[in-house]
Amino acid sequence: MALVIRAVRGRRHPRPSITRAVLAIGVAALLAGTVAACGNGSSGNASSSGGTKDGFTQAPQSSGTLTVWVDSTRVPAAQAYKKAHPDVKLNIVTYDGDANGSNTLQTKVDLYDRTGSGWPDVVFSAENNEISWAVNAGFTAPLNEGLIPSSTLNNFATGSLAPCTVNGKVYCLRNDLAADVLWYNATLMEQWGYQVPTTWPQYEQLGLEVAKQHPGYLVGNAGDTFTPEIYMWASQCQANQITGLRAVTVNVTSPSCTRMASLLDTLIKVGSMSKLSVFSTAFDKKEKGKVLMLPGPAWFGGAVFDSSSGLNTPKGQITVAPMPQWPGSATPSTGDVGGGLWLLSAHSTHLAEAVNFITWVTGNNAYQADLAPGLPAYVPAAAAWLANQAKSGYYDGNITSTLQQAAGQVWSGWGYGQFSQEAIWASAIDPGLTAGKTITSMLPAWQSSITQHAQADGYRVSQ
Amino acid sequence: MNLAPVTGSASTRPRRAPRPIRAVRGLKAGHAFVAGYVVLLAAFGIVPSAYGIYFAFTNSANYFAGLSNFTAAARDFRYLPAVGHVAGYLVIWLVALVVFVTALALVLHQLPARRIGRLVRFLYYIPGALAGAASVMVWLFMLDPTVSPASSFLRLLGYGTFGQVIEPGHLAILFAMIAFWTGAGGWIVVMYGALNNIPLDVIDAARIDGAGRWQIARRIQIPMLRKWIVYMVILAFATGTQLFVEPQLISEASLGVAGRDYSLNQLSYDFAFQNNNVNYAAAISVELLVVSLVVAAVFVTRSRFFDAD
Amino acid sequence: MPTDTAAPTVTRLAPPGAGRSRPRRRRPALAAGQILPGLLLIVFLVFFVLPVIWLLLAATKTDAQLVQDNPLSFGSWHALRQNWDALTGFQGDVILLWLRNSALYAFVALAITLVAGIPAGYALAMTEFRGRRALLVTTLVVMLMPTTTLVVPLFLEINAVHLIGSLWSVVLPYSFYPFGVYLTYIYFSTALPRDLLDAARIDGCTEFEAFCRIALPLAVPVIALVGFFSFVANWTNYFLPYVMLPESNQYPVQVGLGLLLTDVPQFNPTAGTAAVLRPELALATLVAISPVLIVFLFAQRFLISGLLAGATKE
Repeated sequence: MALVIRAVRGRRHPRPSITRAVLAIGVAALLAGTVAACGNGSSGNASSSGGTKDGFTQAPQSSGTLTVWVDSTRVPAAQAYKKAHPDVKLNIVTYDGDANGSNTLQTKVDLYDRTGSGWPDVVFSAENNEISWAVNAGFTAPLNEGLIPSSTLNNFATGSLAPCTVNGKVYCLRNDLAADVLWYNATLMEQWGYQVPTTWPQYEQLGLEVAKQHPGYLVGNAGDTFTPEIYMWASQCQANQITGLRAVTVNVTSPSCTRMASLLDTLIKVGSMSKLSVFSTAFDKKEKGKVLMLPGPAWFGGAVFDSSSGLNTPKGQITVAPMPQWPGSATPSTGDVGGGLWLLSAHSTHLAEAVNFITWVTGNNAYQADLAPGLPAYVPAAAAWLANQAKSGYYDGNITSTLQQAAGQVWSGWGYGQFSQEAIWASAIDPGLTAGKTITSMLPAWQSSITQHAQADGYRVSQ
Repeated sequence: MNLAPVTGSASTRPRRAPRPIRAVRGLKAGHAFVAGYVVLLAAFGIVPSAYGIYFAFTNSANYFAGLSNFTAAARDFRYLPAVGHVAGYLVIWLVALVVFVTALALVLHQLPARRIGRLVRFLYYIPGALAGAASVMVWLFMLDPTVSPASSFLRLLGYGTFGQVIEPGHLAILFAMIAFWTGAGGWIVVMYGALNNIPLDVIDAARIDGAGRWQIARRIQIPMLRKWIVYMVILAFATGTQLFVEPQLISEASLGVAGRDYSLNQLSYDFAFQNNNVNYAAAISVELLVVSLVVAAVFVTRSRFFDAD
Repeated sequence: MPTDTAAPTVTRLAPPGAGRSRPRRRRPALAAGQILPGLLLIVFLVFFVLPVIWLLLAATKTDAQLVQDNPLSFGSWHALRQNWDALTGFQGDVILLWLRNSALYAFVALAITLVAGIPAGYALAMTEFRGRRALLVTTLVVMLMPTTTLVVPLFLEINAVHLIGSLWSVVLPYSFYPFGVYLTYIYFSTALPRDLLDAARIDGCTEFEAFCRIALPLAVPVIALVGFFSFVANWTNYFLPYVMLPESNQYPVQVGLGLLLTDVPQFNPTAGTAAVLRPELALATLVAISPVLIVFLFAQRFLISGLLAGATKE
């Protein structure tokens, strides 16, 4: 051991390896920065040979495979199109449809924008706030500036294209309607001798009576994340008044909100309104067969009542009535929960085929009337859809006219912002509701939560 | 005995043993051995990380932005609550992980029948395969007193509905529990393997000297597990600060009622993909990285983690 | 008695694997010191296993049974059959395609990880070279970097080499597995005595031969460990394939599960005709995790290390 000779270096480096490591990362950062700076200069804008046409700069067109993104429920739509047009090359990609706040489309479009390629040609989205970011990102093409004739666009139900419209330009097509109506069990109503309420005070009165005479039965539900889109929207509450691409007015302490909040509180207190989500297992277990009335969107019929994993109400009992109104309101108003959108990419190199696809899939009876699960927004297809539903005989009587009428009554003062009202209600109100607080007491918290989320998303908030 | 002289290329760090002739050959061989890994490290580790750090200090127009991303991100209304959440979660998570993983590994190691030990380790590990999306539905049902197998336990605690279980005050414990459920199994396997590397002679000698099970654990096994425990703490701390999966899955399960924007990493994700603001997102990531590095540095230097011995 | 990690003595009294058969002192069967550990094991056993048992049973029920019946009751074989048919009926057996994708990505990445990582860990632990510490530090720093911010740079990087949409966009980032390198490093630095390698070098082995002939056979436990963990990390990775793969038929099973989840009416009421019922999702989950469990069972045999065999001249 003692014979080992060690050569000693002149100077000692204090932790040379750390310095080296930091240096390596620093150099890499500089390099990466240079690359990024160079790369961003040419980030994806359409080349000049496309030109401006139909209201936007178009990419150079070519023929080729049309890429469409659909969720699993809309795969039959794409397949029906393929069947009807065997010569069209179609690439059907299934994705989550942006449901449940997954934000997939925006994430992917962000990435494609950075690399300048990869966008799909047509996209279905279950999230009807898409336009709030997609227009700014330059992803969607305006449809009413030459791509789609106004005769086609006029065939969409009044107000159904509101989530698609910004400054008069229509940026997407509506897939289905989801206006809120008053679902009720006609059999029970008749049995107990109740009248279907046409005003909210009548509704409240009925709720109080039901709580006394038939405790355990529900006239409504306040435990869903879309509860504000049913009750608050119908009450014309100014919680989500989008006034510009990045501007919103929020005032939830005004009478139009407080009157509905106190109605909900009253009925929750006596027990004729539940605080559980209509899709929760607890609701399933507790409330099966105990739903007398349930204000909700047009798709409640198939998703809640006529569903084996929902309430599974027997045939012939359920029907609809228009939403109750506040006495003294000039025009009837109701809310809306959902309703999918079809977007056309402004970067598409197959615009003609894409337009064909998008108009077929929203308006053609072969899909919308025969296969679609929800009430189509395209009026001619809607008529055929409702005829098909009437044949099934599930509902008591004809629900056609009520559903169609409701579509035209969706209050325009509740807009579609990038911040999700459902998510805000879920995190700001639902925990308090579970803990026993009243909605009225939580209104200021709701106001501040909406304001903060809107501002975080770049909105100018006026109160 | 090693009598060879050492050439001048040896480093100057004091070593416990004299350096034999391998130094020269070791140099080239060492580089050859790590070459493949270094390529991967550069391509998928260093470059993206450097890029991320670059984003943190520049704005969207690629101009240098100093610390403005950091201050702007910190002014977001979700930032401070998220810091509090993560801090609370970290304490519970770290303590639970270190204490229980070590304890369980030690207990498992002492099981007389090897088969049982193997079986138990396997059973402990199974949840580790249920990471992420796979366990959304599992936890939705586990935490819902109306349908959970543990419903009597939940009702005993006074919770009748799912909403009551996911009350804001419970979230830190819930997330730590879920993270432990998925993560502990793997670490138990690692610790168990590490325990196997402790030579039996040492333990036998101690037993002969009269040491009980506790003392053997405390005096021999745990100190010999030092490097592994340090590694576990460093990683657990980092993954704790980067809390993301558990609040995300509860948020999905509860449709947004709980767990949304709970942690800093979730906020970073929102910045990146909802607001297309990679710079704020990177700023938060750099903050998390710095915190983890500081803690790692403390542990590494105190335990001489990098010594080759 | 030595309490630090100085190289342990390697002379052994018994061949490896027979350690458990050494003579024991007899202890009373149920000493107090036995109850507490036993209780600990059982409590945690219930904790870890109960949700899994629930999941197993959930796959055998219908949706109504899942909600109404006892959580730990068995459904029926018929319901299991129905769930399986519904699952494979979803977009025409796509779950099997997803499984195939997962396997492909995970195994290819695993191979690259082992080939690159085991020698690296060995070299970091057992050899000296310039930049050894720098490498260790850099690896640690990179491991601690939150992955959220790495997504965009990774995407841009992969796009720059035109690999977006190919399996390499996923496999190559997977192959970078610093956690495995660290495991290997720690293993070799604590378990492999330098004397063995010194002995080999004196005998005239090149570094490579020393690695192949001596270190590798003794490293079987850590190779199994790293291989297993790498496989699981690749198999359960969600975000990277979600971002990198544009086509749904390229998805690994984890992303596929996410897709199935959004078709469960309780999570997405507009699911309509493509509804995936919860027991079906439970079955899909079981199918998705079973390869991991099978690989674990397989790797377990190697994870129990025999202590180092042989001896050095001391």
